[in-house]
Amino acid sequence: MQTSNIFLNRMGLLLYFRVLPRINFNGEMMQNIISGLDQSHEHDSGKERKLIGDRGYYFLNRMQGETGVDISACYQCERCTNACPVSHFMDIKPHQAIRYVQLGWREDLLKSSTIWICLSCEMCSTYCPNDVDVAEIINHLRNMAAYSSITPKEKSLAVFHQTFLEVLQKSGRVNEFRLMNAYYSKPDILKERVKQGILIEDLLLGMTLLRKGRLKLFTPRSRAIKEIKKIYSQTRGEIA
Amino acid sequence: MRLSFYPGCSLEGMANDYARSIDAVFKDLGIELVEIEDWSCCGATAAHSLNQAMSVVLPARNLAAAEKMELDIVSPCAMCFNRLRFSQNMIKKKVFDIPWPVTGDIRIHDMTRFLAEPPMIKSIKERILKPLNGLRVVCYYGCQMVRPPKITGYTDYENPQTIDRIVAAAGAKVIDWSYKATCCGASIGIARREIGESLTKRILQKARQAGAEAIVVSCPLCQSNLDMIQKDRSDRPIPVFYFAELLRLSFEEHANPKWFKMHFTDPVPLLKAKRLL
Repeated sequence: MQTSNIFLNRMGLLLYFRVLPRINFNGEMMQNIISGLDQSHEHDSGKERKLIGDRGYYFLNRMQGETGVDISACYQCERCTNACPVSHFMDIKPHQAIRYVQLGWREDLLKSSTIWICLSCEMCSTYCPNDVDVAEIINHLRNMAAYSSITPKEKSLAVFHQTFLEVLQKSGRVNEFRLMNAYYSKPDILKERVKQGILIEDLLLGMTLLRKGRLKLFTPRSRAIKEIKKIYSQTRGEIA
Repeated sequence: MRLSFYPGCSLEGMANDYARSIDAVFKDLGIELVEIEDWSCCGATAAHSLNQAMSVVLPARNLAAAEKMELDIVSPCAMCFNRLRFSQNMIKKKVFDIPWPVTGDIRIHDMTRFLAEPPMIKSIKERILKPLNGLRVVCYYGCQMVRPPKITGYTDYENPQTIDRIVAAAGAKVIDWSYKATCCGASIGIARREIGESLTKRILQKARQAGAEAIVVSCPLCQSNLDMIQKDRSDRPIPVFYFAELLRLSFEEHANPKWFKMHFTDPVPLLKAKRLL
């Protein structure tokens, strides 16, 4: 009885993954199939299979609508990952991130280090043969992560961006001296720097920069500070 | 000729030398740069990473100010140029409300591309008093100036030529290499040092392999990244110049470049060996 159940499951999987996709359905049918997949099946490897996100199709549509990128056009050629200068520091590679969006695995993406490590160097978008703007998608995920309550995996990077905007909205321009001061004053960052033992080195570097005249201590305050503060407070993302 | 000039935050602090060189070069070329009145930061990477609205509205303020002056913008910083162009695109799409009156019809020039136009190259060549003979350099463009091509308008984004042409006009020998537009890591080195180092060290190593004696850049962050990584002096030092510094050097008969003390990798021994100082 058990074996026949497994057999039926296997046949079901075969039907879903090999046969059905080759038949041309209209959009509505396709949607039903995708939501229909949302039942627990055993993976071939014996591990528990990760399901398509609850609202997988919804998430894909939302991402496509908000970024204006045709994410479905990706055929996993991995050119983005090969072009990426920091892909070996990421836990989800750029081409996988696109697949995750297609599957609706939103939480995995927002929890990943990928979105914070990405340098926005636009190599991936430039070399994509299908014009999928990978950098824009990752950037959008980063925005989403900033609004969500998920703790970023690369906290030091996320806090740096946050600090940058905090310094910006105070005077309208960013002063490197103040930025670095504000960044090192964050308790988490300070603790981490002390633990890594690079705090002294950084302070010495700061002194050298000051001596070389590369740091300016004061910045004039912009006249439009009110407007800048308003946009900042209206749309601020919190780093949880 | 008059242009509105958007320096950006870096040129006030870290890239002070770049700003002063630009002033001198444009004065020599007879082009008046009018600094945008009360300009504000473009938001850089942080704004578009955390807050899409800020990344459009902040540059829009500078665009509005330049439109009031009715002068085309020229931007020396790669990131500022990219963000201004991006904001201009978004203003035309009318996605975000912008508190300042702005149409986005103004032209935004990248400084290197502006100077690499044939008439400008001609006027640069006319003004050269001391050609940089024998100086072998590679030109490094970084990311934001050339990519994404849709926004920056570069058609030769794989092998950009603007700085090459300017430096060649100044008399230096420009070496071709493959790492012109590879990312230097930008601000990632501040939070995750090992990532930043892995990227900058590779670029320096490739520049040495290509046989370059110096790197020429136009982006303030690329300059400080490539320059500051060499403070441990473990390998052959390779000074990192802004293209404006080299132009200024070639425009002056008896240059006394005090601003070189701002560099971590001292370029004076190299320039003395080439009899350029």
